[in-house]
Formats: sequence, structure tokens, C-alpha cells
Amino acid sequence: MTDVLIILVSLPLAGALLCLLLPRAATVVALITAVITALASGSLLYAVSTQGTLLYELGGWTAGLGIALRADGLSALLLVMVALVILATSFYASAYFSKSAARAHFWPLWLLLWTALNALLLSGDLFNLYVTLELLGLSAVALASLGGKIAAVQAALRYLLVGLLGSMLFLAGVSLIYAGYGSLDLAVLSRTVEPEPIAWLALSLMTAGLLLKTALFPLHFWLPPAHASAPAPVSAALSALVVKAAFYLVLRLWMDVFADVVTPAAADLLAALGATAVLWGSWRALRAQRLKVLAAYSTVAQLGYLFLFFPLLQALPPGPALDAATGGLIMLALSHGFAKAGLFLAIGVIQQRSGNDSIAELDGTAQRLPVTTFAIALAGVALIGLPPSGAFLGKWQLIAGSFATGQWLWIVVTVIGSLLAAAYTFRILGHAFGSQLYPSRAFAVAREEWPALILTATAAVVLGLAGASVWTLLEAGA
Amino acid sequence: MNSTSLLVFDGLLLVSIVSLAWAALASIDARRSVILFMAFGLVLALAWARLRAPDVALAEAAIGAGLSGALLLAALHDHDRTAAGVGSSSTQNQTSAGLTTVIRWSVTLLCAALAVGLGWALVHVFDHPANDALARAVAENLDLSGVSNPVTAVLLNFRAYDTLLELAVLLTAVLGIFALGPARAGYQPAGLIFDGLTRWLVPVLILTAAYLLWVGAHAPGGAFQAGATLAAAGVVLRLAGRHQIGLPAARTLHIVLAAGVGMFLLVGFALLATGRAFLGYPPAWAGSLILLIETAAMLAIAATLVSAFVGGQPESVTIDNEE
Amino acid sequence: MLTTQLLYALSGCVIVALGLRSALLHSSLLQRVLAINVMGSGVFMILLAVAYRGAEVAPDPVPHALVLTGIVVAVSATALALALARRLAAEQDDD
Repeated sequence: MTDVLIILVSLPLAGALLCLLLPRAATVVALITAVITALASGSLLYAVSTQGTLLYELGGWTAGLGIALRADGLSALLLVMVALVILATSFYASAYFSKSAARAHFWPLWLLLWTALNALLLSGDLFNLYVTLELLGLSAVALASLGGKIAAVQAALRYLLVGLLGSMLFLAGVSLIYAGYGSLDLAVLSRTVEPEPIAWLALSLMTAGLLLKTALFPLHFWLPPAHASAPAPVSAALSALVVKAAFYLVLRLWMDVFADVVTPAAADLLAALGATAVLWGSWRALRAQRLKVLAAYSTVAQLGYLFLFFPLLQALPPGPALDAATGGLIMLALSHGFAKAGLFLAIGVIQQRSGNDSIAELDGTAQRLPVTTFAIALAGVALIGLPPSGAFLGKWQLIAGSFATGQWLWIVVTVIGSLLAAAYTFRILGHAFGSQLYPSRAFAVAREEWPALILTATAAVVLGLAGASVWTLLEAGA
Repeated sequence: MNSTSLLVFDGLLLVSIVSLAWAALASIDARRSVILFMAFGLVLALAWARLRAPDVALAEAAIGAGLSGALLLAALHDHDRTAAGVGSSSTQNQTSAGLTTVIRWSVTLLCAALAVGLGWALVHVFDHPANDALARAVAENLDLSGVSNPVTAVLLNFRAYDTLLELAVLLTAVLGIFALGPARAGYQPAGLIFDGLTRWLVPVLILTAAYLLWVGAHAPGGAFQAGATLAAAGVVLRLAGRHQIGLPAARTLHIVLAAGVGMFLLVGFALLATGRAFLGYPPAWAGSLILLIETAAMLAIAATLVSAFVGGQPESVTIDNEE
Repeated sequence: MLTTQLLYALSGCVIVALGLRSALLHSSLLQRVLAINVMGSGVFMILLAVAYRGAEVAPDPVPHALVLTGIVVAVSATALALALARRLAAEQDDD
């Protein structure tokens, strides 16, 4: 039943074509496609948990001559996160885009974005990864510029150029790998790559390109404007999923394909940049005047946490400790994905009600939109890392691992970062609670508020309580 | 040609390529940059031909130099009329002169170091060349692929999934362009000579495209080169002031644009349904299936490139007006 | 021994460096787009040099296919970038 791998890529793609050809029925077609693809993602997760890593050779050619799709525990979990976030955001977007013209443009691009994400997570070929990165970049840029506001178009153009530069660096690395090892298949390369100059240089180039795309400090400058000016559902996908995909590639390359090439010093460098990202991003989030800018800088900070894991993963020998740390990393990534998407959707609801997303003018939102404010609070729980959120488990693993390997600095950074996250969360909530005592109604607009609530509740509660199954899944799929 | 004169030829070719690249990037005048860039593309096509890559040379000349150049010139043409524009400097920067010089020099040093590093790694590689297992695998399986041109075999059979995603990239770009606004205004109707040339040139381009598509199975050519040639026909029609630039109206245009990816998916799903792998053509049918997919791809590529040239949703294309 | 392969590969490196330098030193949008395209052409040259196996043996077709894909992807991205720039200029005109 490994056909599900290619189904996961071709189904959203077919859905995009149908939305293009049937513009008036686009919303319905898109939602149906979303539900079916989400179910398929779930079945992939189940298949990986029972059968381990899945392999699908496209065209029937052996991997090497042809392109292979691979799914293990890591990619299956991320795929399910992508599916759930996009499903929830799609329901939100069906209400957000009321004008028919914007709707007709949005849905095909949205499903193409999903195709790119799935193709990237499943790809087992280096050059194919380059093509999926380009597809991801172009669809993200096209979506970010929807609506045509000058700020959005400007930010989207910068995003495009930065993304192209990143892809080009990645391609340079790929060509070096082909020159040196004669293969593009990830599994073949993980066996044949050796610590030699061409591998170092190729990995550096590819990593540089991917760090641009994942907005690690100091290459993060393009992210806040792009995520803050895009339409709300697009911002949700950009922050929660698109940057996560680039991070997944860094993780895959460093821990899997180039595991022999990576040095402790290199891992420390990544972690140092991550630490700076945590502190700088959280500080800028605290100082932000607009909700969306705050959320965007929060993304910069949260991605920094993910990079703090690299020295641990590099230093720990294979065994239970390494598995625990890897699980913590994925838990943190999943938690951020759900929380940030929910946060952006909640901000979108506020923005549509009040016309702007200024923090200072939030007075009374808790009374007018109690569910949405609750969703923001839940998102805050997940971003800070309070129990029972998945982020709590993730940060716990980070601190435990740093303790075990004697790298105290990351513990300090994590604690400061969490405190800053608490500060900016409470800043939002402080402004949101106005003077009135009781809310007038529970749900202001039910359809638009449900997705945010479900996503943030998943991050804050469900992931934490279901945490054990994530670890077992990773071991099964390893 | 003995090896010394070949070396001299290579040397001259490469010097001119590097000089054109440098000149195009260093020029202050936007129009000059674009023209130099087009020249760079054409000489690059010569280099590809020299490296025994005729498929790539055709594509570079048609797409890399030709259509990219047309897109850039059209973009310049817009911005001649507006104050801000493609050729003007970005509004940021303007730090102190000293800091700028430091930045310039450090970036230049960094790029030079990169070039040296890349060069050194490649020298190292060429001393111990990697195995050519992939090339041999392609040669061995060529008979099963349905075509005899190895590049077409790789593109449309062994690595067809890459081509599928690449067509999706083209589609995404054109949808993004459509979402940004309507097409540019057209040109004035052409004078007598140009009009006469158009009547002669466009049919020739269409025939050439069909030929390139057909011949791609056993000689250099294929869907991309054919699609670019068709797109050139559309560009010529546009420049001649024709209202109908060969693009069909609304619904049909969307169908044509979606056709490349769509045909790939149809064939893939059909093969999946009959129990084979996705895009795993049966050897007896492979040639015909590849031609089928390439035809749809050629039309999609041509429509995409022409739509990109006109810069937005063509005038005759409107989304349904009613809610 | 300066073989054809090495000559073209090294030139490719130089072109990549030229393109990267121009892309990083903020110039106008057009120059950045051209620079990224030039960088891409440099990478293509490296790939095609790796594929070249001399006048007698047929070249490796896989890099040829990769470069073809790369050319098409590059033109798509260029087209989108130019359309965004055009929209931006139109918006700035309206102000």
C-alpha cells in the first residue's frame, strides 16, 4: 500500500487543477480535496507506525536511475501536521475570501503549496528536492502577494529574491554532490558520502541556501514583513509550514545524509545562531506594535529553539538518549506549527472585526471575541512551553539533553526565551481584557473562530497528552 | 581541429562569456544590461553546444536568451513610462561611504573565496572522478524507455516526476502573474513590412515547433524547445499588434495551461489503476505515451510563456463576473 | 593538465561568484534578477562540464536533463519577479 506516497503528492495537485478549471465550485472542490488528503496523510502515519520506513520507486525504476519517495516517522508526523493545519486553515479561508476573484486565484495556489510541501517531505532525491523547493517558494510568494497591497507585494518580492538566492546556493551544492559521488539519491548518498572537502563545501552551500529559507538569524530579515503583510490564512501557512519544511531539510541533510561529515563545531555554530534568533526574535516580538509583526518575530524565535538541538543530536551516540532528544525536537516543531497557525488565524479574526491588528487598540477583545482570545491564550501556552503543551515536552528534552552533554548555555537561552515569550503573550492578553466584566456571547462568528481554537488546543493540550505515541512512532519509523 | 586550436576556441569563448556576464551586471543602464544579458545567453548556448549538449543549447537559446530577454525588455518598456521602476535603485541603503566600501570589498572577497573553494573542490573531483553508474544505467535501460534520445528518456521517463513538478512550477508562476493584475496594453498594428514578415514567420515557427516535438524522441529537441518556439510565435504576433495573440479565451486558456500537469497526472493515474507504478510506462507503449505527454506539455509551456510575456491576465480572459 | 572539463568547470565557478557578488550588493531589482540568472548559468556550466566526457564518448545525459529543468524553473521565477515589480510600480504610481 505504498501508493499512498504518490497519492499524497498527486491528489492536491489534481485538486489545484480542478479548482483552476471550475472557479465557481473552487471552494467546495478544495475542501473536499483537503479532507481526502488529510485522511490519506493519516493512513500514511498508520502505515509507517506499523511497517516502518516506506519506499516508493516512481516509474518502477530503481532509486538512483529514477526518483524514490520515502516516508519515515519524521516525515510522516510532519505530513500529518501539514495536513491538519492546511485543513483547518482552509475552512477559515473559505470564510475569509469573500470576493470571487480572490477566491478563484487563492484555491489553486493554495493546493499547489500543499503539493509542494508534501512533495518536499516525501522526496528521496536531491535534485527533486531543489524542484520542490522552487515550487514551494513560488507558490508561497504568489499567495503572499494576493490582495495586491503595496506592503504585501514589496515583502513578497523580497521574499522571492531571497528564496531564489537560497535555491541557487542549494543547487550549487547539489551539482558538487553529483560531481563527487555520481548519485542524487539520498539513501545511496548517506552510504557513500565521506568527510572530504567536496562534501563539506556542498553541505555548506546547501545549508546556506536552506538557512535563508528557514530564516535563521541573521538571514531572517525577509520574514517579518512577508508574514505580517500576507492575508491571514497565508501567514498561518507560511509561519507554521513553509519555514518548517526548509528546517526539515536541514535536519535531514545534517542527521541523515551527511551524518559523517558534520562536525561538533558546525553544530555549535548552528546552535549559536539559533540562540541569537531566540533572544533577538523574542525581544523584537515584545516590542512589536502589531499582532502580526509580533507573531512573525515569534516564529523567528521559535525556529531558533529548533536549532539549539543540533549540538545534542550531534554529540549523543545512537540510543535512547538520542531518540528522546530527536523526539523532543519534533514535538517542539509540531507544537509550534499548530500554535502559530492558530495564532495567525485568531489574529485574522480580530483584524477583520476591528480593521487593524494594533496591540494597543485591543481593548475589550476578550469580551467581544472570547473564543478567539482563549485561542490566543492557548497559543501562548504552547509558545511559552507550559505544561501540558507539546512544547513543554520538547523544551524539557532540550534542557535534559543540554544537561547531559554539559552544554549549559542552551539552558540559559531556553529559559530567557521562555520568559520573553511569557512577556509578550501576557502583553497581548493584558490589552485584550477590557473593562467589561462578562462576555456577551460565547461565539461571535463560529465558522471563523473554530479553526483557530482547534489548532491552538492541539498545540497546547493534545500534543502534550499524546506525546508518548510520538516517540514510539519515531522508533517504529526509524 | 587539433587540440590546441580547440583550446584557443574554448579560451576565447569562455573569456567572452565571462566578460559579457561582468558587463551585464556592472552596467548602470538597465537597457544595456538586458541586451548584454541576452548576448550572454546566446554565447552560452554556443558553449553548451561545444560541450555536446545540443538539447540544452536549443533550450538556452530559445528560453534562456530569447524568452527571458523578451520578458526583461517588456518589463523595461513598462517602466520607461513610470517614475519608479525596474531600473531604479532600491530605496534602502545609503549608509556612510566608508561602510559601503567595506561591505563591497568583504562581499567581493567572500565571493572570490567561494570561487576558489569551488574550483579547488572540482579539481580534486576531476582527479578522482566519481563512478558513472548513472550514465551507464541510462544507457542500459534506454531500449526500455521508448525513445532513443537519452536526454528525453531521462526527462520524460526515468525522472518524469521532476518534469511533472517542473510543469507545476510553470503553472504556479503563471497563476501568480494572473493574480497580480491584467495584461499590458498591446502594441500598435505593425507596418506593412513587419506584418508581411509575421504572416510568413509565424507558420514557420509553428511548423518548427511541431518538428522539434516530433524529433525529440531520437534527436535533440523535445517539448520544452518546441514550447518555447511556439511561444516565440505568440510573441511575434503580439509585437505585430495583433489583438488575438494565439491565446484561446478564458476557459480554454485555463485548460491549456493545466494540460501539461493534467496529462501527466492522467497517464500516471491510469497506469496506477492498471497495477503498474505511477508513470511506469509499459515498454511497448512508452514512446506513444511520452509523445502524448510532450504534446500537452508543449502547449502548456507555450501558453505559459506567452501569458508571462503579456504580463498578466490577457484581455479576452475574464473570471466569471457573477458572484 | 587543463582539460576541457576543468576549464569549463572553473569558468562556471567564476560566473557563480560574479552572480553571487552582484546579487548580494543591493543594486536595482533588475540587476538582482539578472545576477541570480547569471549565478544559475554558472551552476549549469559546472554541471555540463561534469557531464562532458570528451569527443569520443557520449556525455552523461542526466546533468543535461537537470540543466534543462533548471532553465525552465529560472524563467518561471524571473517572470513572477518581473510581474511583482510591475505591480509594485503601478501601486507606487497611484500614490
